[in-house]
Amino acid sequence: MNAPPVQATTVLEARGLTRRFGGLVAVNDVSFSVREGEIFGLIGPNGAGKTTLFNLMTGLTPPSAGTLSYRGTRVTGLAPHRVAALGLSRTFQNIRLFRALSALENVKIAQHVRTGAGLWAGVFGTARAEEARVEERAWALLDLVGLADRAGELAANFSYGDQRRLEIARALATEPRVLLLDEPAAGMNTAEKAALTSFIREVRDRFDLTVLVIEHHVPLVMNLCDRVAVLNFGELIAVGDPASVQRDPKVIEAYLGGE
Amino acid sequence: MADFLAQYGFLIVTLVQAGLLGLSLYFPLQAGQLSLASPGFYAVGGYVAAILLTNPAYAGLRETLGQGVFPLTWLAAALLCGVLGLVVGVPALRLRGIYLALATIAFVEILRVVSLNLEVTGGAVGIFGIPQAFGFGERWQYIFLFGPLLVLTLLFARQLERSRVGRAFRAIREDELAADAMGVPPTRYKVLAFVIGAVLAGVVGAMSAPFLNTWNARQGSFDASIAILAFVLIGGSRNIWGPVVGGALLTAIPELLRFLADWRLVINGLVLVVASLYLPQGIVGALERWRRRPPPRRPVPAPSPAELRGGRRTP
Repeated sequence: MNAPPVQATTVLEARGLTRRFGGLVAVNDVSFSVREGEIFGLIGPNGAGKTTLFNLMTGLTPPSAGTLSYRGTRVTGLAPHRVAALGLSRTFQNIRLFRALSALENVKIAQHVRTGAGLWAGVFGTARAEEARVEERAWALLDLVGLADRAGELAANFSYGDQRRLEIARALATEPRVLLLDEPAAGMNTAEKAALTSFIREVRDRFDLTVLVIEHHVPLVMNLCDRVAVLNFGELIAVGDPASVQRDPKVIEAYLGGE
Repeated sequence: MADFLAQYGFLIVTLVQAGLLGLSLYFPLQAGQLSLASPGFYAVGGYVAAILLTNPAYAGLRETLGQGVFPLTWLAAALLCGVLGLVVGVPALRLRGIYLALATIAFVEILRVVSLNLEVTGGAVGIFGIPQAFGFGERWQYIFLFGPLLVLTLLFARQLERSRVGRAFRAIREDELAADAMGVPPTRYKVLAFVIGAVLAGVVGAMSAPFLNTWNARQGSFDASIAILAFVLIGGSRNIWGPVVGGALLTAIPELLRFLADWRLVINGLVLVVASLYLPQGIVGALERWRRRPPPRRPVPAPSPAELRGGRRTP
């Protein structure tokens, strides 16, 4: 008498996501589901449609067809700030911090959806308690990514790796349930990449997150991810645990080229 | 003193007024929106006041309220310009950068042509004999209206900057798409910033109509749009004092150099060129670089990990 296997809750469900840009099909009929608490990798050669898929998932690009739902709520069709309010937050491949603002302010801004002070509350200073909370959380998040001692510096002045970490802190400030990281290791050296793996795990555990990661660096993906999806020319060619995906002939062909 | 006020009183009030108009353009700029609509709202505010103060249809109202009619004109101008700002802002703010600037110039032109052709605005002649506010006998006394308005506006701007809404404005100015992705709804805050500027320009117009005694279609023109933009660019667009300094300076220079006759316009042009070449951040922006900002101080209590996660919602 075997007990039925424990069914992990599905948090994200993509069905037939498609995006055409003119004649180019950047993402073609992609369906997959992501389970609660897992670290889900998204890999594929350059131009495979990974970032477009992230843009479809966070409302930055409307899909030509298909849907994405988060715990049964439809995400596609919502404006980006509504997607953030729902609990999906992201970082950008080509870092998009508020460059002329301080690190502290970058993290404060991203708490917008979890706070409510309006124009007059701000002008008459009646939202002091909320402001204090925003301030405290911002410092704590900077602590988490190790940038608290440089809170006042402009985001533009940080090194590449520090900017990526600041972007993660900013994404966490929206209090997400799902964190989408677009090439978080790009531009990092080997030591930094190794540290990043444990950092992402730590963040996942500490904030009870589900994490999606786009990454090129294969060892990092194999180490970090519970499951991996492979995109090639906009199509999903494999989904599964890292070891079996690595052996999949279609994946090998996509990366090394067919005959 | 009396001589000084008689000679320069009008100029001093005009400097403050210019600073206020600069500030009306500064609010949308805070949210990254280059709007040149201020003269349009300024003109509308002035017409509201001029009509309420001279039109026979409102004679009864003026009799009942006495001097109280003046604050009423400010309120009416603020309300009308706020609503107009909303109506114009929602479609116009879909445009970006220079296209928004062009659309707002068109808006100013449309208002000008409409006011030239309406009977209630006095057509091409305009509205004459607007009574002096609170029975002011001298022009410099208008500093008692524009002065407090400037102080209130600066306080408002400072408080706004430190608040959640001010942060949302800056986020949109820095990167609209990233702001959206981080949960800041861009359209709502762009329209809000635009409406704040519209209301301020409207109130300044309503105060200016009695000050200038007459009001006509020349008040809101393309020239005025560019002049006000120059106030902000020369003064600096990233600090509340920028538009005030720029407005005062660019209004004062041609007056103080009156003895140079036509050459004063050359000097004015030179100031514009030199300032935009060597002070791209504006005068106040350049001064600000000399002042070292103290690093932000951390609040004392360290939060527990539970606080770090915020008020966790169960999905």
